[in-house]
Amino acid sequence: MTHAFSIRPTKAKTVQTTAFWIMRGMTYTIVVLATLIFGTIFWKGGSTVFQTSYPFVNTSFILDRPETLHVATSEGKKLQMGDKEWRAYGEKNPDAVIEDHKTYVYSAGGIFPCIVGTVLLVLGSMTIALILGVMSAVYLSEYSKHGLFIEWVRISIANLAGVPSIVFGLFGYGIFVIFFGWNVSLLSGWFTLAFMVLPVIITSSEEAMRAVPQGFREGSLALGATKWQTIVGNVLPYALPGILTSSVLSISRVAGETAPIMFTAAYVVRDELPWEVNKFSDFFFQGVQALPYHIYVVSSKIPQNEYTARVQWGGAFVFLVVVLAIAMTSMVLRSKMRKKYRW
Amino acid sequence: MSIEEPISKNAPRVKMPIADALRSIQRPKFMGITFDDAMHYFFRGNATVSILVLFLIILFLFKEGGEFFGQNTQNLEIYRKAGLEYVDIVRSRVDDHRSLERFLGDIRIQEFKNQNENAEALAAFDASVERFSAAIDGYQGFVSEYADIAKELKEKYKVGLDLEVAKKNFQKEGKFEESSKIEIPVVDFEAETKVYRDSLTQFKALNETYQAEVQSIVDSFPPMPTAELQPRLDKFRDLVKIQRDNVAKLEGDLLLWDWKKPVGWSESFTSFVFGRNWLTASFWQDWYGIVPLFVGSLMIAVTAILIAVPFAIGAAIYVNQVASAREQNIIKPYIEFVSAVPSVVWGFFGIAVVGQLIRTFSEQGVVSWVPFFPISERLNIATASCLLAIMAIPTIFSLAEDAIQNVPKAYTESSLALGATKFQTIWIIMIPSALSGIVSAIILGLGRVIGETMVVLLCSGGRIKIPDFSSGLGALFQPVHTMTGIIAQEMGEVVNGSIHYRALFMVGIVLFFISLALNYAAQQVVKRYKISIG
Repeated sequence: MTHAFSIRPTKAKTVQTTAFWIMRGMTYTIVVLATLIFGTIFWKGGSTVFQTSYPFVNTSFILDRPETLHVATSEGKKLQMGDKEWRAYGEKNPDAVIEDHKTYVYSAGGIFPCIVGTVLLVLGSMTIALILGVMSAVYLSEYSKHGLFIEWVRISIANLAGVPSIVFGLFGYGIFVIFFGWNVSLLSGWFTLAFMVLPVIITSSEEAMRAVPQGFREGSLALGATKWQTIVGNVLPYALPGILTSSVLSISRVAGETAPIMFTAAYVVRDELPWEVNKFSDFFFQGVQALPYHIYVVSSKIPQNEYTARVQWGGAFVFLVVVLAIAMTSMVLRSKMRKKYRW
Repeated sequence: MSIEEPISKNAPRVKMPIADALRSIQRPKFMGITFDDAMHYFFRGNATVSILVLFLIILFLFKEGGEFFGQNTQNLEIYRKAGLEYVDIVRSRVDDHRSLERFLGDIRIQEFKNQNENAEALAAFDASVERFSAAIDGYQGFVSEYADIAKELKEKYKVGLDLEVAKKNFQKEGKFEESSKIEIPVVDFEAETKVYRDSLTQFKALNETYQAEVQSIVDSFPPMPTAELQPRLDKFRDLVKIQRDNVAKLEGDLLLWDWKKPVGWSESFTSFVFGRNWLTASFWQDWYGIVPLFVGSLMIAVTAILIAVPFAIGAAIYVNQVASAREQNIIKPYIEFVSAVPSVVWGFFGIAVVGQLIRTFSEQGVVSWVPFFPISERLNIATASCLLAIMAIPTIFSLAEDAIQNVPKAYTESSLALGATKFQTIWIIMIPSALSGIVSAIILGLGRVIGETMVVLLCSGGRIKIPDFSSGLGALFQPVHTMTGIIAQEMGEVVNGSIHYRALFMVGIVLFFISLALNYAAQQVVKRYKISIG
C-alpha cells in the first residue's frame, strides 16, 4: 500500500541495488572460489593423509621416506607397491610372471625428509633473520639520528621488500653456493631465505617500535633510566606484539617459498636424513629435501595419474595445512594484541 | 640524547646538588665504554651488517650480470667471423619463402573445407603450391652446404679460444712451462672466409632462376574455386612481390657482410634487450634475447591483473561499505588468509585441475563459435593468469580496502547529507578520493604477479616464443616462458661463469629494476594524488 511517506522506487535506488548485488556477487565469487580450491585440496589430500581406522592419520605417509612406486600385473593380480616391498616380493616369488611393469618415482612412501628439511630451513633462517632484523630495527628506530641518509636507507629497505624472491635465490646461488663454495647446503638456504625476509622484518619491526608513544621513552628517561634500560623496559615490551605478528607471517613466507631454495638448499631426493651425518660440521653443508620443492618436483616431473595423485595431493595438503596454520596463528595473535594494547 | 649530558651546553650552570650527585654516578666501564655504549655499538653493528648485506645483493647482481655484455660481444664475434651470420642472411630469405608456403597451406585448409573435403577440386592449386615450394631449393641447398663450413670454422676458432683461456690460467698459477707448451692455432680468417666471397658468383644464376620461376608460378596460379578466398590469394601475390625483391637484393646484402667488421657493445646490448630469440645450448648459434621472456611475463601479469582488479576492487568496496559487521569479520580475514597460500600449491593446482578445466571448457559445443577454440595446450597464458589472479586478489583487496577506509568521514557524510544515495556517494565521492590508493594497490599487485615464479614455471607451458598475435585473443591460449621461470628452470644446469649464467643474472637484474620501478610508481601515485583534508 502506498502512502505519502512510503519509499518510492527511484532510478538511483534501482542502480544502487543492482550495483550492490554485483559487488556482493564478486565478493562471494572470490570466497566460493577460494573455498572450492581449499575444499578440493583438503578432500583429495585428506584421503591420503587420513584413514578411517585407528590412528586415523596415515602415519606412514608422514613418517616414511619417498620411494619409487611399482605397478605391475602378475598372474592376473594387480600389484602396487613401494620399492622395498617390490624387491622383497621379487625374492619371495622369483618365478612370478610380471607384466605391464611401470615405475613412478617418489610416488610411494611418505614425505618425512621433506618435512624435516622444511622445519630445519625455517628454524635456521628465522634465527638469522630475527636477530639481524630486530636489532637493525632497534637501531634505526631508537638510536639513529633522523637524517637524510637514514631516510634513504629506510626507503631502500622498504623497496627491497618488494623484490621477487627468485632474485634473492639468484643472489644466494651466486654468492653462497658458488662464491663462498658452500654448495647446495642448509647454510646457503638459511642465509638466502634470511636475507629474503630481512627487509620485511626490519620494516615491520621498526613500524611497531615507532608506534610506541614517545611519552613512554621520555618518562623512563626522566626517571633516570639509561637508554638501554628504556629500550628493554619501555619500548620492546610494547612493540613485541607487532614484531611477533610480522615474524610469524615471515615464517609462513619462508616456509612457503620455493624459488629461493631451488638451487641453494633443496635436493630432489636424498637418502639420508639430515642428522645422519659423519661429523658435526657436515650438518651445515648438506642439502636437504624441502616440502615446497618436493611438491614442485612431483607435480612437474612425474605424470598425473591415479598412482601419483596420492603423493601429489597428499604433499600439497600437508604443506597447505602447515603454512595456513602458521598464518592463522599470526592473524589470531594480531587481533588479540590489538585489543590488549591501545593507547 | 643521553642523560649524563647537560641539556644545553650554553645554558648557565646553576648549582643543583641533585643534578651534581646524579652526574657523579660512575657507571661501570669496561675498556672505556659503558654497557649502554656497548649496546649502542652492538645495535649499530647489526644494522650495518644488514644494510651492507642488502646492498651487497645489488652489487653482486651487477657484478655477475655486468660481464654478460663482454661475453655476448665475443659470442656475436664468433658468429660473424665464422660466417654463421653470412649463412643466416640467406637462411632468413629461405624462411620467408617457407612462411609464404604456410600462408598458402592456410588458404588450402579453408578451400578444402569449402569443397567438402574433395581433394580433386584442389589438384591445380596443389600443383602450383608444389612448384612454389620447389622454387627455393637452390637457396636451400646453398644454406645446407655452407652451414657445415661455417660450423667447422666456428669449432676451429672456439678451440683456439679455449686454449687461450687455459694458457692464461696456467700463467696465472705460475706454471709457465705448461703454458708455453700450449700452442694456439691461428685461424686465418681472411683465407677461411674466402669461400664465402667466392660463393657470391652463384647468386646471380640462383636469383635469375628464382625470379623467373616465381614469376611464372604467380602468373599461372589458378583462380580459387571459391571467390571469397580470391582476396587472400591476391594478398599472397603482393607478399610474393616483396619476397622477390628481397631475394633480388640478397647479393647486395651479402656483399656488405664482412668478417672484419667489429662487434660493438651496442650490438651486444641490443641483441639482449631487443633480441627476439632466447636459444641456448644450440648446435648453431646461441641467442640471449629477453623479448620473448619479457612478453610472456608481461602478458601473463597483465591478464592476471585484468581478471583480478574488478573482483578485488568490487570486494573491497562491498566489504568496507555495504557488508554487515558480521560479514566483514568473516570475509576480510578469509581473503587475507588466501594470500598466505604458498605459490607452489597454486602452481600444482593449476597443473592438476585448472589447465584441464580450461581445455575442457574450450571443447564444449557452446563455445565452438570462438575462432581459436578448442585450444591445444593445457598449460598456457590463460591458465597461469587465472591462478595468478587468485593470488593477486588478496594483495589488491587489502590495499584498496585500506585506501577506501582512509577516505575522510566528512566527505561521505556531507554527500549523504545532501541526499545522495549510498551508491552515488561511493561512486562519485569515495572512489575518486581513494583513487590514488587504489591505483597504487593495482601497481603493487602487478609487481607481485610479475615477480611470481612457481605458478608461471609450472603453468605457463614453458615454450620460449613470442606468442602469435595473428589470431587476436587466441594469443592468450598459447604457451609462453617467463623471466622468472627461465631463471628457475635453467639456473641449476648452467656452467658457473659461462655466458648463459651471466645472461640469467641479467634477467634477474631486469626483474629487479621492474620491481623497483613499480614500487616507486606506487609510492609516487600515492604521494602526488593524495587528497588531504583541510
